[in-house]
Amino acid sequence: MNKTLLAGLAITIVLIAASLLGPYFAPHDLSEQVKIEYVVGEDGKGTLLVPPVPPSAEYPFGTDNNGYDLMAKMLAGSRYTIFLSLAVAFCRVGIGGALGLLLGASSGERRARTRSRPASVGNLLNGIPMLIIVWMILIGVSINPSASPLAMSLLLAAVLTLVGIPPLVFTTREKTLVEMEKPFVLSARSLGASRWRIIWTHLVPHMKESFAIAFVQEIVLVTGLFGSLAIFHIFVGGTTMNFDPVEYLSRSNEWGGLIAQARDHLYTRQWLLLIPLAGYVLYILGVHLISVGLERMYRERFRKVSHLG
Amino acid sequence: MIAFVLLLAALPVVIQPAPRGGGLRLDWLGGWSSMREYFRGFGSGESFRYLSGRTELSFWEQIGPSFKTTLFYMCIGALTAATLGILLGIYVAVSRKEWLKRVLEFTGILPDFLIIIALQFVVVYIYLHTKVLLAEVASTSPREPAVALPILSAVIIPANYMIRNVALHMSHALSDDYIHFAKARGMGRGTIVFFHALPNVLPYVKANLHKFMGILFGNLFMVEYLFNLDGVAHLVFSSAFGFEGYQYDLTANGIVTLLVLYAIGYAMLRLFVYGWEKVLLR
Repeated sequence: MNKTLLAGLAITIVLIAASLLGPYFAPHDLSEQVKIEYVVGEDGKGTLLVPPVPPSAEYPFGTDNNGYDLMAKMLAGSRYTIFLSLAVAFCRVGIGGALGLLLGASSGERRARTRSRPASVGNLLNGIPMLIIVWMILIGVSINPSASPLAMSLLLAAVLTLVGIPPLVFTTREKTLVEMEKPFVLSARSLGASRWRIIWTHLVPHMKESFAIAFVQEIVLVTGLFGSLAIFHIFVGGTTMNFDPVEYLSRSNEWGGLIAQARDHLYTRQWLLLIPLAGYVLYILGVHLISVGLERMYRERFRKVSHLG
Repeated sequence: MIAFVLLLAALPVVIQPAPRGGGLRLDWLGGWSSMREYFRGFGSGESFRYLSGRTELSFWEQIGPSFKTTLFYMCIGALTAATLGILLGIYVAVSRKEWLKRVLEFTGILPDFLIIIALQFVVVYIYLHTKVLLAEVASTSPREPAVALPILSAVIIPANYMIRNVALHMSHALSDDYIHFAKARGMGRGTIVFFHALPNVLPYVKANLHKFMGILFGNLFMVEYLFNLDGVAHLVFSSAFGFEGYQYDLTANGIVTLLVLYAIGYAMLRLFVYGWEKVLLR
């Protein structure tokens, strides 16, 4: 374990723990609302308390425009941000990796003659921004839905998983083809090992590290997509749209949604934008450090060492 | 390609919430009929009119300025980012500054909207504390568009990708035997980097151009939207749902326009790489 990996794991674990245990310790919960009131202090001076309340001892993260505690909102939203991104990344790598392995192993047996064609298809796929496809699929159902936030989040997760699989299939297939050419696979095949045996006992152990890294990198990508979609009014868990004035609100308080809905607070009430932004960047940083740390650890582990000394 | 666009534009019609409960309903008939209407409307020009709010506008009249705006940012973004990317990528590959690589890697994985919001915030912060306005944060009217910050944003993100891509393949190329050979023959650093290593990096740049364009376009949507620029993507996204609901015609036309822009951008970049090759390959 190197320092980078440890730092990344520490940040991520703290965030996960906060998201799971936080609501039990948080000073306020989601239902508490600050109403407009006139408070008389000990010195006899009166002040008018109007939400949003800036960050203070009582409200460490302040409250939003309607008087709801931002910390409670972020804790509620973190479950969506963190666990949904983990789940989508896991499914993407699981399904895409398995398909890529199968395709690579079977076409590797047939002495890959058609290698260049699928690679160029995969290349062109890269040119289409994911964002626009997911937007088109979801915009019809995401605004003021009747389904519950959880159901809407699962729908979004399913769509994000589906669109994320093809690139992973292509890259895993390419990597598998390289492994298939290696001497140990050739010798296993000439000894009569079946395709399944080659996949399970030779390819998977050799590629598990790259799957681990792909998983971590997918988490970052998915979290980024949550935020980008939110900028275009598709929030994880569905969007509440009010018409007078027109505003788009997140139903799940997912962090990307909190950022997008506070996007106009560049000049005033900046905490509404900065605090969710900080949480979001911290999560991405934690996961990114894990990915960098893993890469370094594997490089150390598999590097060639001197045979003397 | 066009069929793909027509299907894509029909998705919001096809995928609908179920009338009762929380399920989904697939309205194939609705999608089919919007496509049929679209083709029928060619003759009468009906397919090239859309509602913005309650005002009916002609697509042909509106698309001109939007097309120019998007083309402007795309060209500047593509060419500047590619040039900067190749030059700085070489620098990063040659330099030993580990922290520089780490910073590049981290900013490279941050989603583009974060970088744009951060840039806007820095400008506002400096303004609030020193009263010096470095750049417009967003366009308030078409006559006074924000320019500096959108250009910066349109360049930074694709450039970052290009830098990392070039640096990676450059450091691979520099570890090859022919570099050793060139060095042994007493060639200068510049000659080796530009005339020996770089020609072997350019094929990778060419191969990754679609990815580069993808990043550039995704980023361009964000730039137009967050800076309130009057571009094609902004036109489509903001008016896709007009006063009478989803406007299939507008979305289909808009995406076809974006495809045209993509083709122009891609051709330009191919030409750009061809130029590099012409100069460097002997």
